[in-house]
Amino acid sequence: MLKRVSLIASVAAFAALAIVVSAVAGPTSAAAKTVTCGSTRTIGVAAPITGAAASLGSQQLGWAQFYVTGWNKSHKTKYKIVQGDTQLPNAAEAIKVAQRFGSNSKILVVVGPAGSQEIQDTTAALRNAGLAFISGSATRTSLTDGSRKGYFFRVVPNDDQQAPAVANYITANLKSDHVFIIDDQESYSQGLADGVQKLLDAKNVKTTRDSVSQTASDFSSLIAKIPSSTKVIYIPWQLSAKAQLFGQQLKGAGKNIPLFGSDGLFDPDNFTIAGSYDSFFPVNVTSATIKAYASAHGGKPDYFGVPSYVAAQVAVNAVEKACKTGKGKTTRTAVRKAVASTKLTATLLGIPVSFTANGDVSGGGFSIYKIGSDGEYSKVG
Amino acid sequence: MRENQRVSDSVRRALPGFLAAAGAVALLGFEIADKGWAFFFQITLNGITLGAVYALIALGYTMIYGILKLLNFAHGDVYMVGAFIGYGVLTSLGGPLNPSVPVWLLIVLMFGAAMLGSGLLGVAIERFAYRPLRAAPRIAPLISALGVSFFLQNSALLLFGASYRSYDPFSLLGFGGAHFGSSVFISWIRIGVVIGAIALMLALIFLVGRTQVGKAMRAVSFDREAAAMMGIDVDRVIAATFFIGSALAGAAGVMFGLVFSQIFHFMGFLAGLKGFTAAVVGGIGSIPGAMLGGLIVGLVEQYAQGYLNGNWSDLFVFAILIVFMLVRPNGLLGTRAITKV
Repeated sequence: MLKRVSLIASVAAFAALAIVVSAVAGPTSAAAKTVTCGSTRTIGVAAPITGAAASLGSQQLGWAQFYVTGWNKSHKTKYKIVQGDTQLPNAAEAIKVAQRFGSNSKILVVVGPAGSQEIQDTTAALRNAGLAFISGSATRTSLTDGSRKGYFFRVVPNDDQQAPAVANYITANLKSDHVFIIDDQESYSQGLADGVQKLLDAKNVKTTRDSVSQTASDFSSLIAKIPSSTKVIYIPWQLSAKAQLFGQQLKGAGKNIPLFGSDGLFDPDNFTIAGSYDSFFPVNVTSATIKAYASAHGGKPDYFGVPSYVAAQVAVNAVEKACKTGKGKTTRTAVRKAVASTKLTATLLGIPVSFTANGDVSGGGFSIYKIGSDGEYSKVG
Repeated sequence: MRENQRVSDSVRRALPGFLAAAGAVALLGFEIADKGWAFFFQITLNGITLGAVYALIALGYTMIYGILKLLNFAHGDVYMVGAFIGYGVLTSLGGPLNPSVPVWLLIVLMFGAAMLGSGLLGVAIERFAYRPLRAAPRIAPLISALGVSFFLQNSALLLFGASYRSYDPFSLLGFGGAHFGSSVFISWIRIGVVIGAIALMLALIFLVGRTQVGKAMRAVSFDREAAAMMGIDVDRVIAATFFIGSALAGAAGVMFGLVFSQIFHFMGFLAGLKGFTAAVVGGIGSIPGAMLGGLIVGLVEQYAQGYLNGNWSDLFVFAILIVFMLVRPNGLLGTRAITKV
């Protein structure tokens, strides 16, 4: 009996010691661990490669790979991508990816994750590992409230910048007095919808709010609810194919109400409902880089992934800078500092990229595009 | 006294269901008073279309459960494969914008290929994933079914990619339909789908009730060993059941594509769960029950979406699954099994 008790006590003590050691050893040491840069460096890309949002993640991964491939062709130092499939909206998978990246000492910086909710879920793991993570699509305003300072960065303007651009255009240019707002039940969409609704309410525009699942294909009952007095339907969704389907079903029900999408719907290949509007970064859709990407990807420009190209650009340049400063050796801490001091004067997004103290992109803005009868997007605001 | 006891037991068992139904009807009445009859008719028509698709999926669940007492969780993904087969035929014959054959022939070929392909897939799944586990504990084929489901989803992802594929029915069949009054509209596509689904269901009822194969299926579902002793080739009958159930799911996949346009590798998961819910609500193992269950699930989903909002529709659908499991586990038209003790 005494032997059993002392055995149990020994095991418990050992376990407690192991926990204390790992707690002490974990986060700080991972960030401070010196890594030899070598001629091949590694970045992680966290995106929803499979699952419900796979069509978005594949674009982000594609563009990040495109940047790295281009870099490798023209530079002596090479970069390698380690992919992490977050399976948005599967939070457990996103956390696993973050932990895996954290424990891989070769990974110096992360591009992604994609979703605002994923950023919240993975912050602890990535921060504990000392990794900077640069998102090309997480726009929820509260993500840069200071709690992720020095770790989280985003190359896209947040909802607080997109919402005013949309609300101003709806009131000043479209002069709408009744807007029907439909979110797709994801945090990106709800954040934008909330922001736009608040601004429109403040301008005494009548708003009606509803939501639909991102996986829905039957919008008939939702469309039946839209009153004929509606002047604009605001759909801050992420899936352009869904927006296209919604627009077609709306037309099929005899309701010719213009749609207004968000940056997630900027997709001249899939969202072509004539008379619709969309807010997006001031990307030059005729740029050689976009044409080259489209040519290498079956003619599809995959605009949703363009910010991930810029995020990869930030990541690679930061690693280069940190390795140069460290004379061939660096730490994740040094890479984070390099990310924070990024200054790209021209990017594919049409905006310069540098970061505020909390990780937002400085000086970003949104343009408004209108879709013509031929499906072409033209800038109108 | 015993009679009185039996009556009060029945009343006590039926009371929660009755109260739930009364509450739902009262809520619906309130919403109709608020939003009007036109809106009610519109979303009822929407619900009937959706219900027709769910009913076809539920029939496959119920047939397979009836014969093997197995919940085939891969069934939703067979429906997804059927949708992709239909899409493949559509694109290989010129696509929705410029079909190389008359539209009516194109649709017949899409249905034919999808039903044949899904049917054969169902037979293959039964042969390799379920038959070896017939003598195993019931949990084993259930786990195998889940494995097959994930296998099919990820195979579709690998083969077809993650992007949505569109049947683009508006280019293929136009925007026309029937108007009732000024605000109720149903497209010709939806009318066609409902008629097609009813025709398939009637064909199934005829097959099961009036043919030799159907008789054999009923015999095997009643008592497999006895049926074998009577000279019925049980393996063949089970394979035929899987073929027919899966073919119906394939047809449902094409119908979904024609009405709702978009298909993708993950579409079978939720649709399969709703088809399963429909089968349970109607009475698992009952063919008329599966049809009724499909209709109920489709209507509940549309009423919730129409009168509340999109956040509530799936919640209500799966809530009725829980309610039925608690209050009436045999479903509306299912019969209680009598076990010899």
